[in-house]
Amino acid sequence: MKNAVSGLGLAPDAAMVTFPIDMFLPGSDITPLRARKREFYDGLTRWQSGLARAATGAAPMLCVEGASYEDALNKANNLLITNLWGDGLPLWPATRERVDWILRGAALPRTHVIGKFPPRGGVTTVETCAVALAMAGGRPEYLPVLVAAVEAFLDDESGGDQLQATSGGPFPVVIVNGPIAREIRLNSGFGCLGPDPQRPAGASIGRALRLLQQNVGGALPGIGSMAIFGAMRYTNAVFAEDEAALPQGWQPHATERHGYAPGTNSVSLVFASGVTNVRRRGAKKETPQEDILNGMWRMADFMRTPNLAALAGYEKGTPGIMMISPVVAKMMAEQDWTQLSIRQFLWENSRIPLAQLQRAGAPAWFEIDSNPVTRESIKLDPWPIALKPENIVLVVAGGDHPTHYHWLQAHSPSVVGRVMRVPESFEQLLADADRDLGCGSDACRI
Amino acid sequence: MTTLEFHDPSGTFEVTQQHAPRLASLAGRRIGFVSNEQWQAYRMLPMLKEMLETDFPDIKVLPIDAFPQGNAVIGNEETAALVKKSGVDAVIVANAA
Repeated sequence: MKNAVSGLGLAPDAAMVTFPIDMFLPGSDITPLRARKREFYDGLTRWQSGLARAATGAAPMLCVEGASYEDALNKANNLLITNLWGDGLPLWPATRERVDWILRGAALPRTHVIGKFPPRGGVTTVETCAVALAMAGGRPEYLPVLVAAVEAFLDDESGGDQLQATSGGPFPVVIVNGPIAREIRLNSGFGCLGPDPQRPAGASIGRALRLLQQNVGGALPGIGSMAIFGAMRYTNAVFAEDEAALPQGWQPHATERHGYAPGTNSVSLVFASGVTNVRRRGAKKETPQEDILNGMWRMADFMRTPNLAALAGYEKGTPGIMMISPVVAKMMAEQDWTQLSIRQFLWENSRIPLAQLQRAGAPAWFEIDSNPVTRESIKLDPWPIALKPENIVLVVAGGDHPTHYHWLQAHSPSVVGRVMRVPESFEQLLADADRDLGCGSDACRI
Repeated sequence: MTTLEFHDPSGTFEVTQQHAPRLASLAGRRIGFVSNEQWQAYRMLPMLKEMLETDFPDIKVLPIDAFPQGNAVIGNEETAALVKKSGVDAVIVANAA
């Protein structure tokens, strides 16, 4: 609640009367309300904000001293953890030197304000992003991706203000299109959801985004974020589409969804609440047609579930991201499947009978949905999991292996795209990365 | 001795508005509820209404559904306008979580 208050531009406190969760459950004993009525009355009459009237200003520098560098580094990490700014893994203290190095990847001034990170409302500048990326072990050439991802996150359409705090624990998925992915060693192949020592960019960028969500946006477990399980929060999910593997006639995700020209460096932000493999490959003597159709049915059967969190994206968002490996995309294209026909098949065959929704008590969630389009959709029987097939996000990524699809179930009111900006010195940054990390972006030790 | 100086990672705040002034007393005041209608609000708010009316006999507490309810509407400008138009002196924002 304090986050929400500060996010509105008020001093970060409020007159609150809080109770344990038990009282908010069906059939609960609500008599504690009566016992604490005076607190309600005082909140309306006597309460005063205990914080300063204004808190604007630059964040201070922190300082530790140690007997050695090792000792100082340890103390710095302890300080970050005790201030609730860590994630349990070792952090690089964001020294001036390290942050200045990261800022070599900035195409905008370091003081450029991107927005206020919800719900806490911390002012987020390019430098704030660089600080997080420095702590997360990032490099300068990753900064354009992080800044674009933060811009998308802070877009009013993203729903980030509510998703940061909600109990479902949705996490941001950042899909990168354009040549920058390969240039900065962002994985689109085997293990693209990470971690990957050969292509480490996604882990650092996603970890930096998570640190921003927590430290600037206030999404602390059980305080600023009610995410019950909090999955995937160390690195979020940051990966690239394998554009080189797109079958002829297939478009990059960013072109399909956002209309960006192929070859444009961009991010696309989706919030997901779960990830699973769906085994698609046949095990015996299936024909190519049977192999594909069986796999598509398994996918549709998996999608045919009342994921009520996805109601948020019924009209403009997405029910989820389907990841197709390059070899499967190629097989399907050879059998005349297109991006359009894949979506159409899944949309048609994942419709849920109304009786199934009713037995799950789903209609009540439709009734309280803010979107009249979603509320009206309950009249459709069977009910389609999205307003239209185009809402399903389809991305070609992953290793060249045919056995699985991957499904990232969404909780995403929209899918927000942003074009990236890179600094004029970007080529030099890439050369520095080749020098520092050994093999170049096309090379590989495996 | 080694010194490490590094950035506070929590960003900055910008306080753009002040909290509403509190009432001197609830006597004779008009109170409303803005609720998301979840988390047992349908049981708790009537109890709170009854307590206020018992403890402050000259108070006017609006019905719990006097304003639009639900997560989707309690934060929008239309609801805020309705609250202002109603002439309430204070509102209790309830059970949004």
